[in-house]
Amino acid sequence: MDIDISPILESWRFLLSGLEITLLLSLLTVFCSLLLGTAVGLARCYGPAWLRVPLVFYIDSMRAVPVLVVLVWTYFALPIGTGLSLPPFWAALAALSLHIAAYVAEIIRAGVSSVRPGQTRAALALGMSRAQLIREIILPQAIVRMLPAFGSILSITIKDTAIATVIAVPEYMNHSQTLAGQSFRPIEVFVLAAIVYFIILFPITRGVDMLYRRVAHLGRS
Amino acid sequence: MKLDWSVVTAHAGDLAQGTALTVLMAVLTMALAVPGGIILALLRLSGSRVLSGLSASFTDLFRNLPLILVIYAAYYILPLALDLQFSPFTTGLIALALNVSAYNSETFRAGIASIRRGQGEAALALGMSRWQAMREVILPQATRRVLPVLASTWVSLFKDTSLVSVISVGELAYTAMRIRSQTFRVLEMLTAMAAIYWALGYPQAKLVDWLNRKYGITE
Repeated sequence: MDIDISPILESWRFLLSGLEITLLLSLLTVFCSLLLGTAVGLARCYGPAWLRVPLVFYIDSMRAVPVLVVLVWTYFALPIGTGLSLPPFWAALAALSLHIAAYVAEIIRAGVSSVRPGQTRAALALGMSRAQLIREIILPQAIVRMLPAFGSILSITIKDTAIATVIAVPEYMNHSQTLAGQSFRPIEVFVLAAIVYFIILFPITRGVDMLYRRVAHLGRS
Repeated sequence: MKLDWSVVTAHAGDLAQGTALTVLMAVLTMALAVPGGIILALLRLSGSRVLSGLSASFTDLFRNLPLILVIYAAYYILPLALDLQFSPFTTGLIALALNVSAYNSETFRAGIASIRRGQGEAALALGMSRWQAMREVILPQATRRVLPVLASTWVSLFKDTSLVSVISVGELAYTAMRIRSQTFRVLEMLTAMAAIYWALGYPQAKLVDWLNRKYGITE
C-alpha cells in the first residue's frame, strides 16, 4: 500500500476553509443552544405549569430523534412545509441548535434540582424572595455542577457538525469527502481528518475530565 | 401545495424492513460493544502499563472522533488496508462497535472504580481471591451503577445507527431517503421517518429516565 500525500499538500487551503466553517458552525451552535437551552431549562424549572408540558415534550422529542433526522428534515422538508428555505449553513445551525438546546435544558434542570430542597426551604424561611433564592442560593451551586457538562456540550457539538455534511454544508468533513473523491486518496485524507478532529477534541475532553475532578468537591452540599 | 400521505402507507413494508434493520444494527452493536467494553475496562485496570496504555489510547481515540468520520473511514480504509470486501452492513457494524466499545469501556471502568477500595480490601482480608472479590463483591454493586449509563448509551446508539445510511446500509434513514428521491414526496417521507424514530426513541428516553431515578446515585 503506497501513501501519497501530495493531493493533501496541493489542497490544504480547501481543507483549511472547511475547518474554518466547522469551527464557526460549532461556536455559533454552542452559543445559540446555550441561550435557547438555558431559557427552556429555567422555564421548565421555574415557569408556569402550563408551559412545562410543551417544554418537556420538546426536550424529550429531541432526545428521541437522531440529529441526522433533524438536519435532513430542516433542510429538505421545512422549505416545502413553510416556504422558508434556508441555505445549508443556516439550516445546519438551526437544526443543531434546536437539537443540542434540549440537552442543555436537561443539564440546567439536573443542576438546579441537584441543590437539596432543604436549602430552598431555609432560604424562604429566612425571608428571601424567589428571585433572590434562585440568584443567590441555587444558581451559584448549580452552575459549578453544570460546568463539566457544558464542556461536554462543546465536544458533542463539534462532533455533530460533521454530520452537517449530509446537507452539503462546506465544513471539514464535507471537504474531506470531496477531496477523497477527487484525488482517489481516501486513506490519506480520512486519516488526516481523524488527526485534525482528534487534535481539536482531545484537549476539550481532557479539560472536561479535569474539570470534573476539580469541581466535584465544590458542588457538594 | 398538496400533501399526499398515501406514499407512506404505500411504502409501509419498506419502512418496516428499514426499521427492523435499524433495531438489528443497534442490538448487534451492543452485543459486540458490551464484551468489548468489559475487555477494554479490564485491560485498563489490569495493572500492566502496556495493556492499560493500549486500552486508554483506544478509548481516547474513538471518544474524540466524530462517528460519521469513523463510518466513512471504515468504508474506505478497511477494504484497502485488509484487502477484504465487507458489506456496507458489516462495515457500519464495525464502526459503531468500535465507537460504542470505547464509551462502554469508560462506563465499566467508572462503575468498578466507584466501589470504594475498602470493600475490595475487606474481601481480600476475608480470604477471597482477587477474582472472587471482583465477582462477588465489586461487580454486583458496579452493575447497578453501570446499568443506567448503559441504557443512555443504548439510546444514543439507537439514534446513531441512522448515520450508517451514508454508506448505504438499508436501515430506516436510508430507506426513507431512498423512497423520497424515488417519489419526490419529500415532506411526507421525511416526516414519516422522523415520526418512526420518535415513536421508537421516545419510550426509550423515558425508560432511561426511570432507570436513572431507580438506580441512579443520589448523594
